[in-house]
Amino acid sequence: MSAAVAADLGRLFALDAVRRAAAGLLLGGLFLPIVGVLVVGLDVLTARLAMMHVALAGIAIGLWIGVDPTMLGLLCCGVVGAAVAPLADRATGLSGPMGLVMTLAMAFALLVLSISGVNANGAFSLLWGSILATRTTDLVLLALLATAVLGWTARRHRDVALVLFDREIAACSGVHVRAITMTALVLVSLSIGASVRLTGALLVDALTILPALTARALAATLRSMFVLAVVAGLVGNGLGFLLALELDQPLGPILVLVSGALTLLSYLKKGITHAPAFH
Amino acid sequence: MLRFESVVVRYGSTLAVDGVDATVATGELVVLTGSNGSGKSSLGRAALGLVRAQSGSIQVAGSVARSPAEWRARRQLVAYVPQRTSVGGFPLRLDDLLRSGGDHPAARAAADRLGIGALLGRPVSTLSGGQLQRAYLSRAVGALGAGATALVADEPTSALDFDGQEQVAALLAELTVARLVISHDRAVVERADRVLEMAGGRVRERAV
Repeated sequence: MSAAVAADLGRLFALDAVRRAAAGLLLGGLFLPIVGVLVVGLDVLTARLAMMHVALAGIAIGLWIGVDPTMLGLLCCGVVGAAVAPLADRATGLSGPMGLVMTLAMAFALLVLSISGVNANGAFSLLWGSILATRTTDLVLLALLATAVLGWTARRHRDVALVLFDREIAACSGVHVRAITMTALVLVSLSIGASVRLTGALLVDALTILPALTARALAATLRSMFVLAVVAGLVGNGLGFLLALELDQPLGPILVLVSGALTLLSYLKKGITHAPAFH
Repeated sequence: MLRFESVVVRYGSTLAVDGVDATVATGELVVLTGSNGSGKSSLGRAALGLVRAQSGSIQVAGSVARSPAEWRARRQLVAYVPQRTSVGGFPLRLDDLLRSGGDHPAARAAADRLGIGALLGRPVSTLSGGQLQRAYLSRAVGALGAGATALVADEPTSALDFDGQEQVAALLAELTVARLVISHDRAVVERADRVLEMAGGRVRERAV
């Protein structure tokens, strides 16, 4: 890094907003990739869209009845995450129910907005946040979620590994599969609900799914998958953040491109070391 | 002892198990045969609560499970070898799969005996179908070591070569708990104390 670039970055990091954004990305890089591993493992890739709309419905209700819309949005995400958990035992899994949640929540939110007369742009603006608008309270929320996600996955690592590998084998190994699934879904839902508000939908994928996909391509155990996902998340966030500042370009697309490039590299490595499934 | 009394399992309008009565005594090896779709796997899985029996009762060591907590306890009493010859890609090492049975040393000893002891560090998703079946049987031996009093094995030799079938059949025959083994392999049937045949969801005794 040249002295001029370092000086540029130094000036930018003197700004509170930039420091808070960096702290937000650091916190996000610590736990959102683990959330991404849970999303990939539970096959709920549609969870991001579903929870965005659930959060929107909660925000709309909050604005209507005069309750803190952000908190109500988060509460709705947590409740819906817990409510869909029993459906994970069905042969069709959670992918379909998440699609249903997404559609119903979107319709419900639009209906509430219409009935209540709440300004739709106001509701959407609470959902479509920006990492550079990160507040101290947002950092506290991220820190709480990071503690919950990291603490739970560290404590229940064996059970989580078995549930993500094979639910029946987990059940036959004394694991309370439904409780693990429900906790995982609640954490996923809360994390996505909180992060979408901070970062916008595009960045949530860069912070969750892409590091998880990078790790999945390289890891042999769930533990190594968690570690690799966090490393990929932190490296992607750090590089992307510095690059966006230096190039003076929007953070979201740069972060997604950097994380996506890391995922592509992991796929290339896997392609080199693993034979293709068929010709 | 494993006892099925008037057990009925339905999937929607499909009747998979139609009022089955059967008993596997402690120390007995009972082989369950029958054509595809006759209800064998459903009956075995019902013993563990992996599918719900709509009526009837299934006793293990004299106790019946009703609540979710009782079914969780039941699954500790019945070692299970699932019918799997492949798994999804989510990472789990063979050694961790063996550990999940409960008695890790017993599971590893079984893995050594079945010829997969050198593969402990391998992700389960990279094992062949036959290696996977040996792995699940080794895990079940670990569950027996941890206190399970019965074994349900669903086609545990279907992906094995002839030597493998003999190895697994010999191991199954040596176990001293109640064993219900779904299989069509001669090596297993020859060692059975009794053979039950299932057709259309019903069970009848067959001469060994």
